[in-house]
Amino acid sequence: MDRLVAVCSPELTEEGSRGEELRSFAAVLHGLGELCPWVEPIKLGLAVFPVRGPSRLLGGDHAVVAAVAMAMSAVQPAVVVQIGVAPGLFAAQLAARRGVVVAEQDLMEFLAPWPISVLGRPELASVLPRLGLRTLGQFAELHHREVFSRFGADAAVCLQVAQGKVGELSGLRDPSIGRRLRSLTARVSPLPNQPTFLGGMGLADERLHAVARRLQAQLGAESVMVGYDHGGRSPIDQASLVPFGSHPVPTNSTAPWPGKLPSPSPMTVFCDARAVELLGESGLPVVVDGSGLLNAAPVACALNGGSRRVVINWAGPWPLVEQWWETLHHRARLQLLIEPATAVLVAFEENSWWLEAVYD
Amino acid sequence: MLWLRYEHMFASVSHLQPRPTLDPKLLARVRPVAAASARVLPVAPALESLFGSRGLQRGSTVRITAPRGGGGSTLALTVLSAPSAAGHWCGVVGMADPGVAGMVGLGIDLRRVVFVPAPGTAWASVVGELIDGADMVLLRCDQQVAHPIARNLVAKARDRQVTLVIVTSTPQQWPLPSDVELSISDATWSGVDGGYGHFVSRRATVSASGRRGAVREHIAALWLPSSDGAVAAADW
Repeated sequence: MDRLVAVCSPELTEEGSRGEELRSFAAVLHGLGELCPWVEPIKLGLAVFPVRGPSRLLGGDHAVVAAVAMAMSAVQPAVVVQIGVAPGLFAAQLAARRGVVVAEQDLMEFLAPWPISVLGRPELASVLPRLGLRTLGQFAELHHREVFSRFGADAAVCLQVAQGKVGELSGLRDPSIGRRLRSLTARVSPLPNQPTFLGGMGLADERLHAVARRLQAQLGAESVMVGYDHGGRSPIDQASLVPFGSHPVPTNSTAPWPGKLPSPSPMTVFCDARAVELLGESGLPVVVDGSGLLNAAPVACALNGGSRRVVINWAGPWPLVEQWWETLHHRARLQLLIEPATAVLVAFEENSWWLEAVYD
Repeated sequence: MLWLRYEHMFASVSHLQPRPTLDPKLLARVRPVAAASARVLPVAPALESLFGSRGLQRGSTVRITAPRGGGGSTLALTVLSAPSAAGHWCGVVGMADPGVAGMVGLGIDLRRVVFVPAPGTAWASVVGELIDGADMVLLRCDQQVAHPIARNLVAKARDRQVTLVIVTSTPQQWPLPSDVELSISDATWSGVDGGYGHFVSRRATVSASGRRGAVREHIAALWLPSSDGAVAAADW
């Protein structure tokens, strides 16, 4: 089990209505990226990276924690950040809450006093204390076989986590966080004016600026946006909205992007994660297999929890080989033509389908 | 300072020099194209069969009706493309997740379009504010709009000579008749076939009707969009 540095910011875990938390979290990740290239966002407000390399470079775990704290105070001075080191993701996020460094051999000792509720399983948290098992340490003394037969497979995994044999527990990760972060490509700086043609301002420009600033004062800076074309492969990467008056990162949008989706581009591109259920002939879910192909021809789909609609035709899947060194999951994109005549773009990621765009 | 004095000395000579020629592209950009007194806004060539080559009356209302995902956004944003490219400011309200790359394909100048993607319950006041600042305002409404609110917005738009473009999925959602009514039907996509190909183009029938001579009664076949991403007229 790899020892991980967990960086957690409790203020950023609760999502507000304006999306500032996501932006701040992206800034935190960017700051961590300067220290270590393997930073992995787990959910909003929580990121981890392996401690081994940075520890060797900087001279010890405590030096890494100090470097992270220093980097964070430079990037986000207003945000309180908790840092911890422990083997495995589950122990690492607990270590961050306490702000401690846990060595491999101390893992059992560290986990033992935590209450059952930290496993995030309400049914176990209510049943086990009634059996007299209040802490992870007491739970860990049970036998795997008995827990498996009495409480099921998920509880057996929880037991292995409590025993320090397994580092990951389902439910710790937010599968949509990677997609949401990728949709945030703009940098915001408080510039008073949106630059116009040749930097000048006409009468009509001034009128519109006054209106836009009034709306921003009422509804927040991120309520009034302008479009910005970056260039990129997917519709989400290619272009995005940036707040009116901010200076976007300049890139050359005429640069060729091999592997870019062919024209025409969709008119609606979703930044948030919308789940899609895609079913094949036999009613089984359609997935992308190891060779990048579909296991069955798609027949029906349900978009974002809606009703099932017939898939008339489809194209793809096109495998996504961006950042293949970071992820082991198969990612692919598929175009679907669904009833009555709606064209959508879906992506396969984290073993499920997500609605990416609609050709409205 | 010394340089300034010399400049002054030769002022009588300098006017004899030929004026530097400017790049016509640059000239077109700095010229005050959006004269506020102009009575019409330009329309994209592909929509001339619907609006006529004269253009779109300022202060008029255009309602576009299409089922969700049926091309309403493409047609509405195409109406914005020529005015934005000519330097008119456009506001887009209620289009929650606009595909910016697609808009570039339609010929929209992004520097002239402001979006209020999620106005929430304040949408009517946002539209009202934008009518004060922009030349064209696009509103995507997905729920029933109350009659007095619609009437107020239309009256304000007419007063300020701002063209209002409303996109709805059913005609009942916007309770007032508009100067121009466009509706999309018979949309068919081509290009995908059993896993092969990709979406290439959508052919749709757009019927136009209206009042006060703002539009010709007309039914046109359009590529919404064509394979290059722009909207084009299709053959019957």
